[in-house]
Amino acid sequence: MKSRQKLVRWLGSGVVAALAASLLITSASGAGRTASTTGRIPRLSNGKPDFSGIWQTTSAADYDLEPHSARKDAPPGQGIVAGGQIPYTPAALEKKQKNFAARNTADPRLKCWTLGTPRGIYYPEPFQIFQRAQDLTLVFEFGDTVRTIHADGTLHPVDTDHEFWLGDSRAHWEGDTLVVDVRDFNDQTWLSRAGDFHDEALHVVERWRLIDANTIDYQATLEDPAVYSRPWNIEVYLYRHREPGFRLIENYCYTLDYDQFYPVPRS
Amino acid sequence: MILKNSMRMKSSAVTFGALLLAPWFVFAQSPQQQAAPSSGPAPAAAARKPATGGGIQYETSFAAIASGKWTGKRLADGQPDVSGDWSNTIANHNNFTDPQGGIPGDPQTRNRTLGPRESRAPSRVSDPVDGQLPYQDWARAKQQEFAAGFFNAVKPEYIEPLARCAPAGIPKSLYWHGYEIRQYPGYVLFLFGSGWRIIRLADTSHLPEHIKLWNGDSLGHWEGNTLVVDVSNLNSKARFGRTGDFASENVHVEERYIFSADNKRYNYVATFTDPTVYTRPFTVTIPARRWTLDDPKNEWHFPVEAANNPGKERIADHFERICVENNGGFGQTVAQPSGETKPN
Repeated sequence: MKSRQKLVRWLGSGVVAALAASLLITSASGAGRTASTTGRIPRLSNGKPDFSGIWQTTSAADYDLEPHSARKDAPPGQGIVAGGQIPYTPAALEKKQKNFAARNTADPRLKCWTLGTPRGIYYPEPFQIFQRAQDLTLVFEFGDTVRTIHADGTLHPVDTDHEFWLGDSRAHWEGDTLVVDVRDFNDQTWLSRAGDFHDEALHVVERWRLIDANTIDYQATLEDPAVYSRPWNIEVYLYRHREPGFRLIENYCYTLDYDQFYPVPRS
Repeated sequence: MILKNSMRMKSSAVTFGALLLAPWFVFAQSPQQQAAPSSGPAPAAAARKPATGGGIQYETSFAAIASGKWTGKRLADGQPDVSGDWSNTIANHNNFTDPQGGIPGDPQTRNRTLGPRESRAPSRVSDPVDGQLPYQDWARAKQQEFAAGFFNAVKPEYIEPLARCAPAGIPKSLYWHGYEIRQYPGYVLFLFGSGWRIIRLADTSHLPEHIKLWNGDSLGHWEGNTLVVDVSNLNSKARFGRTGDFASENVHVEERYIFSADNKRYNYVATFTDPTVYTRPFTVTIPARRWTLDDPKNEWHFPVEAANNPGKERIADHFERICVENNGGFGQTVAQPSGETKPN
């Protein structure tokens, strides 16, 4: 809980507002290289962009967020981290390297645990967004995972010691961009199969934007002073599944370990 | 144990992960697990109290709701607006056909004396009229084996899958904890404590039959005040309750969610057809009521907190629903590998 206390102190110091402002600037500069919105995008009746649909990345981000050549257990990828490298503190980098070495047994994904935020977004299985004016509901095919992004003006809970797997998500609109502030995490999730990690002080600011009717430009800024020396940014595109009849198929994969114990009885 | 917290935190998932590798550890749970609300039937007298949100089981009878026109509010796409929080009004999944009768063979008396059968809520089986499931003989024997094994889980299959965080399936999800309905053009979404269901309103074809799922594949449409849902592709690994009742993967369910005019109640009336296990189709009826922030706090039926919305509208916050609380063989007395018997 040390890191938790640290965060609380940090919040109390009022530093966070200034930092958040700087994050937005960083993030906005990162956005400079993305295409502007083209063509018509779907909208709700209130005029806000409508993200409803089934989405999935085509990137290799979940294998490794940083640029990497092919490995036996990962296709190559250019990475999705702005600047290429995650700015780990020296101690955290050591831990990441240990995680990397143990990745084929230690990745929480292998136990089918909830992937967390943002990993669930760029994990290579589809998720479906259901959207109302007041919230977005993200149903992930992988695991028993439903994430609500509140867009009704409510604030993070006063009690900030919940330690959610997915964080607590509160959003507002900046033009056609949905900006989501996510905090109050536990430290049980990884960010990739390469052992990238965070602790409970993780704070994620996501920026969701439709660049055309079938493509979401997803950006996120991650900060966690116990693990990273500065905030850092990722950006990945999500593509709409348009195959006729495509639908989410439940994958409560943690049940597969005991599936063998539940044969359907027969006469 | 407080559901709210357990649903949010997977701290004991470490234990959970371990027990997947070593199934017998499933039984090594603390005695406090027994204090979970799902095992805490109220005294029989409390069952007659009005529905003020006390225990899990409080209604011994309920009215039918007629199918008909919907006169209440609608969503922009024309669907009756039934979104919000709901929970059953009778009891949890202790006992499928005698919902307030406790778990058969429960070694704990729980300080309760059961009165005559008529003093308790009716069977969830509304047809046949005797309230019993029309099992084939072999299947009845299997159900009784499961029921007997519930308190003596000498085989892994006697542990109810829900106790390992598996989705509660159909119909049990509707009498596990309270749950939420969210609606969208073309969809009705059920968010349960254990698992979700996406009911597709604008689709007419099921998934290929070889795909089998805990919560099945659901196609729905509205008929007036009634949401009609056709369910197939069930893996039928989820039991109906702690009494071991089950169906096969050939089961087909036709569900009717019939909402009252005041939008405060609905009755679930579903026909189960499964010639592999049963001698005839049967009907399951489950009453439900709406929960709002005007109700007394109840973490079993209505696991929410008031959102942080200072000076503005009261809104119910639903935190993440991630199962941990059932990672043990909760409520059971189980033979350990050493032969030692240990309550947990």
